Amino acid sequence: MSRGIMIFAAWCLLVTSGFAYASFAGYSPFADGQRASGARGPGGVFIGRGGPRHK
Amino acid sequence: MPPEPPDSDRPNPWGAGESGAAGPTSPRTVVTAEGDKAAAAEQFNCPNCGGSIEIKAAGYTVTVACQYCGSTLDVTDPDVRIIQRYEEEVRKLDLPLGSRGKLRGIEWEVIGYMRRSENGTYPWDEYLLFNPYYGYRFLDTDGRGWTLGRQLTEMPAKNGLLGFTVDGEFYEPFYAQTRNQVDFVLGEFYWQVQVGEEALTADYVRPGKMLSWESSKHETEWTLGELLEPNEVPDAFGVEPLTGGGLPLPHQPSPYKKQSGQMMKIAGLAAAAIILFAIMFGGTSDPETTRVNLATNGVEQSAKIGPIELTRPRQAVTVSARAPGIDNAWIDLAYTLTDRDTGDVYEASNVVEHYSGYDAEGNWTEGSRSSSSKFSMVPAGTYDLTVDAAGSQWLEGQYAATRNAVVEVSIARGATFYSNIILALIVVFVPAIWVWIRHLSFESRRKSDSDFAGDDDDDD
Amino acid sequence: MAKSENCPNCGAEVVFRSSGLPAVICDYCHSTVKRIGEALEKIGEVAALPFDVSPIQRGTTGKYDGRNFEVIGRIRLGYEQGSWNDWLCLFSDMTHGWLSESDGQFQMVIEQPLESSHSDLVQRIAAGGDAVPGDRTEIDGQPYFVADARWARCISAEGELPFAATTGWSVYNVDFRNPAGLSANVEREEGEPPGFYMGRYVSLAELEPRYLREIQGWARPEYAA
Repeated sequence: MSRGIMIFAAWCLLVTSGFAYASFAGYSPFADGQRASGARGPGGVFIGRGGPRHK
Repeated sequence: MPPEPPDSDRPNPWGAGESGAAGPTSPRTVVTAEGDKAAAAEQFNCPNCGGSIEIKAAGYTVTVACQYCGSTLDVTDPDVRIIQRYEEEVRKLDLPLGSRGKLRGIEWEVIGYMRRSENGTYPWDEYLLFNPYYGYRFLDTDGRGWTLGRQLTEMPAKNGLLGFTVDGEFYEPFYAQTRNQVDFVLGEFYWQVQVGEEALTADYVRPGKMLSWESSKHETEWTLGELLEPNEVPDAFGVEPLTGGGLPLPHQPSPYKKQSGQMMKIAGLAAAAIILFAIMFGGTSDPETTRVNLATNGVEQSAKIGPIELTRPRQAVTVSARAPGIDNAWIDLAYTLTDRDTGDVYEASNVVEHYSGYDAEGNWTEGSRSSSSKFSMVPAGTYDLTVDAAGSQWLEGQYAATRNAVVEVSIARGATFYSNIILALIVVFVPAIWVWIRHLSFESRRKSDSDFAGDDDDDD
Repeated sequence: MAKSENCPNCGAEVVFRSSGLPAVICDYCHSTVKRIGEALEKIGEVAALPFDVSPIQRGTTGKYDGRNFEVIGRIRLGYEQGSWNDWLCLFSDMTHGWLSESDGQFQMVIEQPLESSHSDLVQRIAAGGDAVPGDRTEIDGQPYFVADARWARCISAEGELPFAATTGWSVYNVDFRNPAGLSANVEREEGEPPGFYMGRYVSLAELEPRYLREIQGWARPEYAA
């Protein structure tokens, strides 16, 4: 097996184990929920995401 | 049919008298051997220049091109006679006549050399190799690589419209029939060779091998050539490696093919593992649900779910919302997940919405009546989820408060991050696809010289 | 069984090993000697064999399709553009075959009844017709192609032979090849019934040869070690 293949196999192993860990710990760089910067009471501020976009 | 021209140059091995061939002849003698071994060569002096010549394949050799003056000599008879007279400076060969080398376990002696071309273009060198115990081989090069060829005793079988099969292996057409000629010749041959002699050739290829058809006025032969590794001929005969360059050889195997295949296999394994892990660790469990009634007006409403116990050190949490009854309305949602003990807060916001209408293109709908938000790496603890919801309606071009809207919010432990799966698959497959593209590009360059280009079925 | 006699020309010893092989070339005087009943007769003579570097010699043994053989004779044939050797192989069951050596390639063929070919082309050649390279026929349900068709003359011969060869004796020989490496050939000559032979191309290695000729400067091949 060539060097390139070894490196690629190692890379795939790294990605796969990283993915396994992320899945186990529930990590995603694209998660919606974030930790708030400070403690605050209920009642968030709406960013006004909704609304019709057609046309 | 035109009458055949008188063939006065043709040698007659059956003695003088019948033939018009004249000129000096020279007798052959056997070079004596030591011990009880059989002699390996015959010797004679060139009847043209007098140079001393050895015949290495005595009994097989028919024509000798003198290595000193280049004259072609007929040696079918005990007396060697001249077929074609030359007085030229004999060129230096890359593989000198008489040099020996071991290729793939068998020792060969270079006994003949031909330079051939298609009327001066596409020249190539052809060396004839001999070993009395293994017969003949051809060693060809056009400067890009060495091909070791062996004449076939079986007749290749036609396969499909243009291809051939030998030993169960398929060869696709590469070069169509072309006329070529002998430009220069040196050494000994088991057939009649002359400068200017023409032959028709056609070539068929598979990775690493070339099947060549050659038809001259005397016979039709098939040769199967194997592309040697670049170092094999230099190692065997102690010559300089070829500098190469240019397009890949017709039968050059793609250096990326094996690698690309291996990488695809590894990437496939990794993808399978990724999907397996996604199934094992993904998904949600133990949902708890609350309903928020937005019946009255556009004012923000709150609801609470809790306590929610998260037991693993770190986990994902999925909050999903569903409002099946809404139309031309949207509900803004804000989720606050609070740890009862530490007061740590995790926030997310989302929306459920649905619009529909009618325009020039017909009915349209937009938006989704459900949505989900995922929290990443929430630590263990006891949590409360606060949902703040506010509904709005778009009616006749105006904003209005929603009527009778109910949103159902549930929280569950765990999540499946599809974005993670996609990212991991991309990162795993991109290098494999990159190498595969290089393989395809190599193959297209290789085939660009073919007379049958455009026929690009893959051969696996 | 082998029978030792004396050359009617020079008195040297000549050996007949099989009743199927009534001719022998005297090693000393190159006379072609034929056994007719109990008597020996000199039919003619052959020229001295020209030197060659064939790896085969009389005495070489080998195995073909599970049967052992020994090379006991040969005919050297020539045409305008070359020459070849037909080596006579005596199998352990006292039948014989020909190991034909041309351009460093070998084929082993065994004579078959002409009618067994069931090929019009073969019959036509046997009856005096000519063949052209590329001609196709079917023998035993297998396709065969004419690879080579030419008149050849006997240059020389040695050892035991099934017929009395003499230098100058000429024969029309047609070689057939096949996609699977099988071979067939038809021989026609003046005053003799035509011969039809079938077999296949072989590598020397697969014959597991012993007692190959040792040639100065060349290592004994691995297959014969």
